[in-house]
Amino acid sequence: MEKHDLSVFEIEKEGFRLKLEKGASAQAAAAVPSAAAGPPKAVPAAPETTPAAPKAIESVPLKEIVSPMVGTFYRGPSPDAPAFVDVGKSVTEDTVVCIIEAMKVMNEIKAETSGIIAEVMAENGKPVQFGQVLFRVR
Amino acid sequence: MFEKVLIANRGEIALRVIRACKELGIRTLAVYSEADVDSLHVQLADESICIGAAPSLESYLKIDRIMSAAEIGDVDAIHPGYGFLAENPHFAEVCESCNIKFIGPSSRAMQAMGDKNAARAFARKAGVPVTPGSDGIVETEDEAIRIAKKIGYPVMIKASAGGGGRGMRTAHNEPSLKSAFHSARHEAQKAFGNEQVYLEKLIVNPHHIEFQIVADSHGRVVHLGERDCSIQRRNQKVIEECPSPLMTPSLRKKMGNAAVKLAKSVGYENVGTIEFLVDQERRFYFMEMNTRIQVEHTITEEVYACDLVKEQIRIAAGQPLSPHVAHAVPRLHAIECRINAEDPARDFQATPGRIDFYYAPGGRGVRIDSHVYTGYTVPSYYDSLIAKIITVGATRINAIDRMRRALDEYYITGIKTTVPFHAAMMRNGDFRDGNYDTGLMDRLISAGKLDLASPPIRLRE
Repeated sequence: MEKHDLSVFEIEKEGFRLKLEKGASAQAAAAVPSAAAGPPKAVPAAPETTPAAPKAIESVPLKEIVSPMVGTFYRGPSPDAPAFVDVGKSVTEDTVVCIIEAMKVMNEIKAETSGIIAEVMAENGKPVQFGQVLFRVR
Repeated sequence: MFEKVLIANRGEIALRVIRACKELGIRTLAVYSEADVDSLHVQLADESICIGAAPSLESYLKIDRIMSAAEIGDVDAIHPGYGFLAENPHFAEVCESCNIKFIGPSSRAMQAMGDKNAARAFARKAGVPVTPGSDGIVETEDEAIRIAKKIGYPVMIKASAGGGGRGMRTAHNEPSLKSAFHSARHEAQKAFGNEQVYLEKLIVNPHHIEFQIVADSHGRVVHLGERDCSIQRRNQKVIEECPSPLMTPSLRKKMGNAAVKLAKSVGYENVGTIEFLVDQERRFYFMEMNTRIQVEHTITEEVYACDLVKEQIRIAAGQPLSPHVAHAVPRLHAIECRINAEDPARDFQATPGRIDFYYAPGGRGVRIDSHVYTGYTVPSYYDSLIAKIITVGATRINAIDRMRRALDEYYITGIKTTVPFHAAMMRNGDFRDGNYDTGLMDRLISAGKLDLASPPIRLRE
């Protein structure tokens, strides 16, 4: 990165994403396993005018729970019931995290990973498509 | 008229349907696989929903996900295109039960024509000539000899449970028939667990001529003439033309009437195509019916001055046949070349990959139906068709020379395409003379008679 005067470097390969940032503001890396397989691409960003020494990379694995189907996303089992999970909730593989309704059938979606819900990415009552990210899990 | 249509397909036909919808003021919803994120049909549709991973079985063939997308998108109708679920009676049934109009025939009509044996029975009943053959299973060698004598050699012995060209034997005389009969049964038993065979006359070097049917929901059925699709490689159509160089007005009348009669007898609705084999003596035989819009519908559109996809949508919406379709007459001559991502110099090996630069020809009488563009990556998961080029001319030779001119301008880099092959065909004497049959292309290729050097054009990219 020093050699090419880069401040940000991002690479995405099948099942893995790495982002390196240097500079004072860098709360550096997220080495992010990405669920969507895609061709490897490297994205060099514009060089900074005052290069600083690269900071140590802190790896915070963020996993994604993606939709396995097309349907409508619901946070809870019914409109007045509380959500299955919220940010901060601990999940294991079998934890039901949401419902996706397809053709009047309510499908319970399991986490299929373990960790703590970091982010809710889909909106309650809104349609989701195949491969859409529903939750980010730390 | 529908307010919103879901297009359950991809590639050039999805784009074709979207264009027709836009012209009719209908909103469009595209469904796509992860491999088609950058596809033109997805980009041009009003809305789009990803329905699965790249393999067709995980996306374009997933009925439940398509219906879910239809429900979310609140569509009135689904256009199935061709291939994929277009001739799947179960899919048509699911649409019917979900109150979403399937733009095509009823699942019942689809089922009737989908069973090739049953279709032949329908044809016989409607008085349409079918390839002469045994009227059912042939049990003994003596029966086979008797039937072969009646229908005349050469004959084909076909496995009743067969398919994909397997369990088929040809016999040119009685001695070879005896051994062929037994080995066909043996092979059928091993391959399909069912030794039953039937006999069919082998039509030598036929023309493949098909008739376009258009039928509305009010019982009106017309035909829009024929297309000659005899230029085939390994049973895949490559070049089509309308009208057929073999056709005469009286033959067109006979075949057209037969086609209409058959379509009426199964209560057909929407567009469809009846395929015939025509021998050297201009005798025609029903082969099968395709209950969908076809790839080569374009040349009929150019010659009969109509938009078949818009007509499909109108018919599905309950409108009667448009007057200009019902009374269409042929003018001009049209040819279509299917441009595939294949290398003609390497046995037509598929060549998916990124198109670095794409320039398509234009000018008077040139039509391009294509979903590709500069920078587009042709995926490896689906068929290799990347473009259809159609030329129209006042005469057949005009259309051919226009195609020759247009192909010489067609500039695609990054992948190999079949453009050079088509350019060579437009210069081939037999093709230009209209002197061809379904065996011509394979013969020319194996004899190495086609100059497959790339066209001379070089563009500054």
